[in-house]
Amino acid sequence: MTPELKAAIAALLAPSTDEGKEPLTAEDVVAFGMWVPASLHVALAELLKAHGFTLYVTVVASHWPGEKPSRRNPDPPPEHFQVATVLRNPTRGASTTFSWRVRLEPGQPLDTLFALFAGADWQEREQYDLVGVHFAGHPDLRRLMMPDDWEGHPLRRDYAIDTPHFPWR
Amino acid sequence: MDTIAAIWDTIFTNPWLHGLFFGIVIATVALTLVAWSIWFERKLAGRMQNRVGPVFVGPAGLLQPLADALKLMRKDFVVPREADKALFILSPVLLMFFALASLAVIPFGPDTVIADLDLGVLWVLAFAGLMLFPLWMAGWTSNNKYALFAGMRAVAQGISYEVPMLLMALVPVIYAGSFNLQDIVRYQADHSWFIVWPPGPGIVAFVIFFIASLAEGNRIPFDIPEAESELIAGVSVEYAGMSYGLFPFTEYLHSMIASAMASVLFLGGWSGPVFPGIHWMLLKTAILFTVILWMRWTLVRFRSDQLMRACWRWLVPISVVVVCAAAVLRYFLLAGGAP
Amino acid sequence: MPGKVPNALSGVELPDPHMDIEDYDPDADLMVLNMGPQHPSTHGVFRVKLIMDGEVIVKAVSYPGYLHRGVEKLMEKLTYAQITPIVDKNDYVSPMINEQAVNMAFEAALEVEVPRRARWIRTILAEMQRVASHLVALGTFTLDVGGAIGGGASIFMYTFRDRELILDLFEELTGCRFHYNTHTVGGQRHDIPAGWAGRAIEALKLIDQRLDEFFELVIANPIFQDRSDGVGILPRHLALGLGLGGPIGRASGVDLDLRRDAPYHCYDEIEVKVPTRTTGDCTARFMVRYEETRESLRIALAMLEGVPEGPICSRKAVNSAASVKIKDGEVYVGVESPRGELGTYLIAGGQGGQGPYRLKIRPPSLHAISVIPYLLPGNNISDAIAILGSLDPIMGEVDR
Repeated sequence: MTPELKAAIAALLAPSTDEGKEPLTAEDVVAFGMWVPASLHVALAELLKAHGFTLYVTVVASHWPGEKPSRRNPDPPPEHFQVATVLRNPTRGASTTFSWRVRLEPGQPLDTLFALFAGADWQEREQYDLVGVHFAGHPDLRRLMMPDDWEGHPLRRDYAIDTPHFPWR
Repeated sequence: MDTIAAIWDTIFTNPWLHGLFFGIVIATVALTLVAWSIWFERKLAGRMQNRVGPVFVGPAGLLQPLADALKLMRKDFVVPREADKALFILSPVLLMFFALASLAVIPFGPDTVIADLDLGVLWVLAFAGLMLFPLWMAGWTSNNKYALFAGMRAVAQGISYEVPMLLMALVPVIYAGSFNLQDIVRYQADHSWFIVWPPGPGIVAFVIFFIASLAEGNRIPFDIPEAESELIAGVSVEYAGMSYGLFPFTEYLHSMIASAMASVLFLGGWSGPVFPGIHWMLLKTAILFTVILWMRWTLVRFRSDQLMRACWRWLVPISVVVVCAAAVLRYFLLAGGAP
Repeated sequence: MPGKVPNALSGVELPDPHMDIEDYDPDADLMVLNMGPQHPSTHGVFRVKLIMDGEVIVKAVSYPGYLHRGVEKLMEKLTYAQITPIVDKNDYVSPMINEQAVNMAFEAALEVEVPRRARWIRTILAEMQRVASHLVALGTFTLDVGGAIGGGASIFMYTFRDRELILDLFEELTGCRFHYNTHTVGGQRHDIPAGWAGRAIEALKLIDQRLDEFFELVIANPIFQDRSDGVGILPRHLALGLGLGGPIGRASGVDLDLRRDAPYHCYDEIEVKVPTRTTGDCTARFMVRYEETRESLRIALAMLEGVPEGPICSRKAVNSAASVKIKDGEVYVGVESPRGELGTYLIAGGQGGQGPYRLKIRPPSLHAISVIPYLLPGNNISDAIAILGSLDPIMGEVDR
């Protein structure tokens, strides 16, 4: 990642820093795992694509169910989803990935990256199918792996692995 | 002894008995040879692919065709619900009938021919062309889109490649001056094989005739109508049991007939350097049949539009030129030139 | 058409995969043909619904998911040691590389060093596996183009015969011809037996020789060239957008190979020559795989000469399901599989540290299959089969 790119990312994300926290600087920009608010998801992807990260790698959605407070875990986070997107810079000799995470409340949709990357089509469909995250603006958001009339989203943590579903089980 | 000689005489002189007797004998021998050509092909293919082919049923796997036939006969014959039942069942039967009928005029030996017709060449080519009918029928009446595709492709390919085949079959007719297959062979026995003399048109005609017969018989590289990787089994996709078995069986029979015709028309049939007879005919047919099998297991297939282009852009113009050249050479080089 | 021949770098008119079929020509008599899950040429269970106008495909809708076994859900219940044999079954044609991808993610999360001998062995195994996998791809493409009973089958038999040599070597090393379970967190479980390197060198030299024969039979065959030249041109921008970086991307001008551009194992110590093409058609994909096979043979032969001494695993041998504990961490690791970038996104910390919270496999074949709605329209079935064969999808990986 070039310093210009880091500065541009910091400039994009700085206005949305939480109250009381330091605004983001170029040194804080890392190639893996930055937390990005859902409203800046597409803008960040556009910025990265313009700076050479043109290969769409993948999108990974995960589900954290709301847990009850326990002795080991007295302050568990409420139910939320995390969507991580990974892009790659196909430079010869120095190819790196950039990935960032977006935290979503249950039911909150995330904007689709289909307009920028054609691969987002199926990857987002798969994450919708398995985890249940909606992607706003997706041309054809339907199930990919599971049969079309399947109920439930299998990769959610509260979905038992042997949930019956007629006629397959 | 006298009675046997008398019976033999009656058979030879009475055309009905002659046809019946030789028909039964030749048909039986041909079908048996076709059945064992399945064994031969599988052994040949196996060796070409670094494996052995059938070895379990009988010594060296020789009873494999018997096992295959018994297995196919025991299978359920399923007719699809929406299929046109009568035509569905009739198609493989008709296919076999036309293939066997074209055997009627092929001269296997100096006296061994079922029917010595003056229109021998036309008879064989007519039945080869008629075989497209049952193929298309099978494709249509199966009520299956894959079969329909295959049937359409088979007809398109068949009617296109008939043109060079007919034109090239004319070359021996021009040289020998007759459509009678036995006359063509006798002419080659008396003079020289058409593939060698007159120089030029003979060998080109042989190659084009051979290629066109491959295309008529849906053999690789022209087997788009039954391209397994695309159309599953092509026309016969809905057939099961022996009715399915008749399709590849007829394909082998057609390949044998094509080899027999090529050897009769261009390679001199039952004539040879010494001891003319049926053994020469069988040897030449066997060699050409092996070449057909060899090509099947080596080459990849054409796409349908490339196939059509090859026929209409290349084979047909060359065929026309060759026919004209043959006529010219016959006038100048062969005996009985100027009328 | 006079002028430039279309290729991956020039503009190729792409169909809209989300086109409503009602908007197509209302006078046309459209037919729906199902290249169903049972088909000799869909490379596994995979359904493509073709909407055809005569023999020309107008729209292709694909339905993956027939081989979905819930691997990612299963991994939430398994420990790290138990995951390696499961992940073998994703890309079942190149299991070594699957295992490497997953174990590298675990090692990155744990921040363990892998000893040099183990990394060297991993490189050799990856290259040999690449050769074996490409032999399958080359053989099955010829099978699709030439016929399951016919010329394609002969060539398919030859490539599989050559692949058996490699599988025999793997059997000697790990005990299994497929699905090896030989990688572990920190290194290898099986060490190279005595004489293995010599036998491997002989086998690979033999394969190299036989590839010449393959070239003459297949690539120089004009019928084969007619079938695959100019068929299924994939433009470069679409390859990038879809995330195709392996042989498919390289055939379309995406000059990316993770072995050279983001090195791991011992790839930074050797030179990897990466073949690329700009034509983007089936021939280009085929030729890229062919040349990659040659290159992998060369790399493996060079590396087998000088395997360094040392331990093969930096941790104690895994002998119970709960041997590996990763408290937390989130990593993404990408390796170059014969089909493209095989990635593992690991969110550690599930099951009290004994297993992953979420393990996502980024399958290159899924991205390869997603070109189908773009490439198939405008072709007829024969070309569709050729395109599908040239993409070399492995359904186990697509569906997991």
